[in-house]
Amino acid sequence: MTQKALPIINFDRCDRCGACVTGCPEQALTMTKAGPVFIQPVNCTYCTACEGFCPTGAIRAPIKVRWALEN
Amino acid sequence: MLIAPCLKDDRLNISDLTQIPLISALPLECRQQLSRFLIQRRIPAYQSLVLEGDPAEACFFIQSGTFRVLRTNQDGKVQVLSRLSTGAPINIISLLIPERVNRASVEALTPASVLALNSKDFDSLLASCPEFSTALLRHFAMRISHMTDLAADLSLLSVRTRLARFLIDLADSPNSICDWTQDEIAAQIGTVRDVVGRTLRDFETQGLISRDHQQFVLLDRSGLVREASLNPK
Repeated sequence: MTQKALPIINFDRCDRCGACVTGCPEQALTMTKAGPVFIQPVNCTYCTACEGFCPTGAIRAPIKVRWALEN
Repeated sequence: MLIAPCLKDDRLNISDLTQIPLISALPLECRQQLSRFLIQRRIPAYQSLVLEGDPAEACFFIQSGTFRVLRTNQDGKVQVLSRLSTGAPINIISLLIPERVNRASVEALTPASVLALNSKDFDSLLASCPEFSTALLRHFAMRISHMTDLAADLSLLSVRTRLARFLIDLADSPNSICDWTQDEIAAQIGTVRDVVGRTLRDFETQGLISRDHQQFVLLDRSGLVREASLNPK
């Protein structure tokens, strides 16, 4: 089974403000001493809200764009 | 925040300059002079190369990898200004303004390699190599031309049109594996993240695209082409 992609957290940029943790609609994140981590990764729907809430640009939720496979 | 450590400094061959358009068009003598000044630096992903507000000590030319340009606004919120990839110069404007401070931060999104030119050698080249100055002028003329086109698009085309064009271009591009965030897309098409998100949801509701976790799948080419006001292929 392939693992679901998760937003990427850059701990060097993170100031541990917790905006991503409180803003995550699925409660997928928790704050640790090092910074936020996905405590419930299966809950992450990749809504990218955490990226939008992060004031320091520490979270990136890149998307891929492709055409649907044509028959 | 960490500034990118110099993982490896390599002596440079003149052949290493071919993928930098601004440099590759210079006469051989000028390229030889440049190659004596340039230092190759390897930057790990997510390391900063340039920090906004610091003294501008060097400019860079991207050999490989992707970078994003960031600025912090008055509220302390970081804003993505643009993405840069192979061949693009970094931080040249900061070396040309009288204050000589970095106007924005630049961070690697992937493992990257750049050629660094320190400010003293940059000044020396400007004085001794008129072709280098001309190449910089051409580069800035192209940048201004691009900004003019973008300004025209902003006033003449809706966000829906600009986003549809961007999605089609990205999916058609052979480099479409390249990942973009909604902030980066917003910076590219001249809008803000929230509007990109809202417009993507509109496209999804209309059945033009669908979302599969990290992937946006373009479902209806003719519908998107209509949104993009392009002539169908």
